[in-house]
Amino acid sequence: MKAPALTPARLRFAAGCHALLLPSVLLLLVFVYLPVTWAFVKSLYEFEVGSPARFVGLANYGEYLFSDPPTWPSVLTMFLLTAVGVAVRLTFPLVVAKLIHSLPFERTRYVYRLIFLIPIVVPGVAVQLLWARMIYADYGLINEFLRTIGLADWAHAWLNDPETALLALMCFGFPFAGGFEVLIYYAGLSAIPESVNEAAALEGCTGISKFLRIDVPLVLSQLKLILVLTVIGGLQGFEGILVLTQGGPGFETMVPGLWMYYNAFSFQRMGYACAIGVLLFVAILGLTLLNLRYFRSAEEVQGGSS
Amino acid sequence: MSRARLFAIHAVLVCTAALTLLPFAFVVNNALRDNFEYNRSFFGPPQAFVGLAQAGWRQATGDDRPLSVQLESGEVRSMTRGEVATHYWDKLTLGIRRAWTVLRPYLFNSFVVSGLTALGVAALGSGTAYLLARYRFLGRDFIFGFILATMVFPGVLTLVPSFLLVKQLGLLNTYWAMVLPYVAGGQVFAIFVFRSFFTGLPEELFESARLDGAGHWGLYWNIVLPLSRPVFSVVLIMNILGTWNNFLWPFIVNTNDQHQVVASGLYTMARSGVASSSSTMYAAYLLSSIPLLLLFIYATKPFIRGMTSGAVKL
Amino acid sequence: MVVLGAAVVLFWPERPVPAAPTADASAAADGHKFVLRMAAPQSYLPGSLPQGVGQPLQGLARVVADFEARFPDTRVEIIAVPIEREFLVTQLSGGAAPDIVCVNVEDVWVDVQKHWYVPLDRYLEQPNPFVVAKGDPRAPGTRQWWDMFAYQAITRGKAAPDGRNYCISLDMVETGIFYNKTLFAAHGLRPPETWSEFLVLLQRAKELGLTPLLTNVDCLADWGADLVFDQFYRELLPGIDVKKDDPVRAAYLQGYLDPEELAFLQRQGFFTRRDPRYVEVWRKLGELRPYLTKDINNQDFVREFVTQQAAMIWNGSWFVYRLHADKQLGFDWGVFYLPPMFPADSPYASGLPMCVIGGVGNQLEVTNSALSDTDPALPFAERMARSERLQRVVALLQFICLPENTDRIVNEFEAFVPNIVGVPARPQLDPFVEILKRRYTTTKWTYSFDLRFTDILKRTLHLYLTGAITLDEFMRWQEGNIATASGNFVQRMNFDFAPLQQEWDRMAPVRAGFRDLPTPPPAR
Repeated sequence: MKAPALTPARLRFAAGCHALLLPSVLLLLVFVYLPVTWAFVKSLYEFEVGSPARFVGLANYGEYLFSDPPTWPSVLTMFLLTAVGVAVRLTFPLVVAKLIHSLPFERTRYVYRLIFLIPIVVPGVAVQLLWARMIYADYGLINEFLRTIGLADWAHAWLNDPETALLALMCFGFPFAGGFEVLIYYAGLSAIPESVNEAAALEGCTGISKFLRIDVPLVLSQLKLILVLTVIGGLQGFEGILVLTQGGPGFETMVPGLWMYYNAFSFQRMGYACAIGVLLFVAILGLTLLNLRYFRSAEEVQGGSS
Repeated sequence: MSRARLFAIHAVLVCTAALTLLPFAFVVNNALRDNFEYNRSFFGPPQAFVGLAQAGWRQATGDDRPLSVQLESGEVRSMTRGEVATHYWDKLTLGIRRAWTVLRPYLFNSFVVSGLTALGVAALGSGTAYLLARYRFLGRDFIFGFILATMVFPGVLTLVPSFLLVKQLGLLNTYWAMVLPYVAGGQVFAIFVFRSFFTGLPEELFESARLDGAGHWGLYWNIVLPLSRPVFSVVLIMNILGTWNNFLWPFIVNTNDQHQVVASGLYTMARSGVASSSSTMYAAYLLSSIPLLLLFIYATKPFIRGMTSGAVKL
Repeated sequence: MVVLGAAVVLFWPERPVPAAPTADASAAADGHKFVLRMAAPQSYLPGSLPQGVGQPLQGLARVVADFEARFPDTRVEIIAVPIEREFLVTQLSGGAAPDIVCVNVEDVWVDVQKHWYVPLDRYLEQPNPFVVAKGDPRAPGTRQWWDMFAYQAITRGKAAPDGRNYCISLDMVETGIFYNKTLFAAHGLRPPETWSEFLVLLQRAKELGLTPLLTNVDCLADWGADLVFDQFYRELLPGIDVKKDDPVRAAYLQGYLDPEELAFLQRQGFFTRRDPRYVEVWRKLGELRPYLTKDINNQDFVREFVTQQAAMIWNGSWFVYRLHADKQLGFDWGVFYLPPMFPADSPYASGLPMCVIGGVGNQLEVTNSALSDTDPALPFAERMARSERLQRVVALLQFICLPENTDRIVNEFEAFVPNIVGVPARPQLDPFVEILKRRYTTTKWTYSFDLRFTDILKRTLHLYLTGAITLDEFMRWQEGNIATASGNFVQRMNFDFAPLQQEWDRMAPVRAGFRDLPTPPPAR
């Protein structure tokens, strides 16, 4: 195709289009690009809200990377939680989706899909508060249940015991089936052409072996979507931890994002918090790129073999 | 499929569903019990239920003898059947009534914020996506890149500077502090989804409409919008869910209780004196779930269809 | 859309939410000249159930309604705000703070130089006009508003380090150990006289299958640490209290260690692993470890006490109300105070009675929002002199201080001891009235430095008390924590240590008589 000439009419048309795009672009400039720029700039300063800023160069980065004690344990916790999050989100909802999908009647399938979607109507923060105050609490569901069946010794302060806090965070949301994931996997399974299923049946490939050899590879794009979302969410999300454990006991469940939050809004160290944010951004960006590269090659292999 | 297998699948699914939904049953129970009851035992039905059942039984059997009821002040008073029913009804609904007074303004704020955001995202997202998908003009690809690139910036990077920005703009404690950043961020996903849908629409549709004399606006309004209903439902529901559930940002930019939304309001409630009344807190969890439940009853079908029909490519 | 519209109608707030938070805008809207915003003390929030039990509170709302009746051009909005400082700071810096807030005044001291708060001395030194209007020339408050406060020393002791008063103290609060009298009697237990007896008592309770002592890490980091610290450092004061206190505060504070003194002492090697007394503070607190609950971060720890599964609970005077209101409690309870340590308990103890750490309870401060009717460009003193709004805000506080009004607010339930002359405390609070007669603590650590200090202290103390880290590891954390916190403090205040150093050198002979003082750090 040859590049069309820059006629006044085309320019006028382009100008009109740009004018229509202006609201979108303006909003992004002000509320995304400007804060992003500020994050980099302000990470070089130390300041409280309401007090003048002091230029400190890269000192904030240095302090975070080399001398703030919570840094490295919290990074480790973040990766651990992310890994577990990925593991459960790639398995539990997929199995549930597969079970639903294998039911013979559309009506029952629909009802189950609906049931597993219901929990999303409860605000996330309410669910977190519930787990903290009603399920994991000293006199919460788990401990009272254990006491009722005579296992009082097994009762723990799940979220406040250094030995169990991280484990409790990992189990938050058990059985991990109430949400969008089930629906997304279900969509993937529905999209598998009937011919593939028939061919598999002809070759005697059924049950678990069919699930692993046929279904899982064919919902790879859904798995990839959930993987990317979970990894990004795991690296930057901390609201749940803020509500459930506040990063405690001690620093057992601290993650960098939460430490950033505390530094900004509790300790009033805005510049330092910005520096932590920038470092997290670099980490997330790196991982996303890695992810894309790995998955592209994995998909190519997949495409070549089938 | 064999019967035994079908049964096994149902068993697994029912158990999983029960584990998923069971906590909410306790929420309802705890919302109906006062602190004294809650402190004494985790399980157990609301005392008020027992009282109401007693009154109901007497009603049914026509027993008119007065009942003695211990009030919270410790005083024991003799009451008629009707008074007993009123007394226990009040006790039963106390938490819900209290939670309602606290939550009501938060719910209002949530409606305003989520509604305005959804409107903004739907309008800007579909319009911008339509332009980017169906027209060729100078700088189009650059703009699309400019928009998509924002997906790279995680919220954790912009949280603090965004707060500083909103504060600088004097928007703290206004709806704009929530709506504007929400629309700015939310439109990106919408543009992405809408654009891929619009690009996939067959050109013939547009050709024939153009032959019938439709302008740019007419194409968008009469051809594109009616076709993209399922996409709209998915984008809007995802968006409303996102804004409704976001608690950290409203918590940070609303230093004034009047402007808290449901999510951040629940969080401040949990940390304020209100939390010492367990029934109020549990009733608040309950009440805060009702709006989205209604939305879902109304919109699940198109949503599930949209998600699973392939109209939305994620 | 229809659903949304219906919902908006349904949820429309009863009182319209003003679009802008500025008081002037909303004032113009409803025809009042002044719309004052008061962050209600959490304890007195109208309509709330204190500790989740009993009847909704009305006292403050009634007093405010009377005030509005007296000043028809004024409306007072009582609002609920979270108590955290992070919240307050954002409000103040955003100019959205209520006119009156209720926080611990120590939290205010950190920010006074930013002119976020209004000093109240010039009003306290004047008569209270509402008292004068009543015409009794002998009534306290006729000469000075100051005279109305019952606990003079404690109240005046709340002056900031700059010597000014930023708060009105409505009531007093104190902590104590509540015990189950019925259980104690059944098993022949009695309140302890010494620390060792206390430990024995805890052990007995444990052997009986009870939770010996309910408390949480917040209380231990705040109350516990200060009490034990006072036991070991009190007698060093003549040799280490290098800053002479303001005369108005001295009567009550008797050699209080201010943050700058703590920072100075830290530089002399105090509060490090080389300071045996400081290590001893945490070792002694660690002795409580076997007797605490599994969940020492539990914010809802009253349950075991009211269900008689726990023998004792360390709580504030407000807990009296919770116990008193529970008609199905089924046991008697009493209160004792933490017993002192003797040389047999610790080499650095002398049997000095434990000090008090509570003092004033709900403290009301006036923020710069009260000056919003003046030009921010003017000097602060000028704004204070010109602001009509400030006059009205102060009038509200003066009105609240009238005995009949304080009585309606504070004595609505038995939680706090009123701090206004002529308002007796509810009888159930008598044990706390007694405890309040003790001398005040040597310092309050959690109010001395920034929030980062307190945060790290609580986190690491939690680990230490659950046995996840050793005393030595804890001390390493705490040493770094204090060093960072005091360094930040000195930098922020731009503090000059020279006068303290002079006084320190002058006190050297006194210190010669003390044993086991820490060695100064090696010169850097």
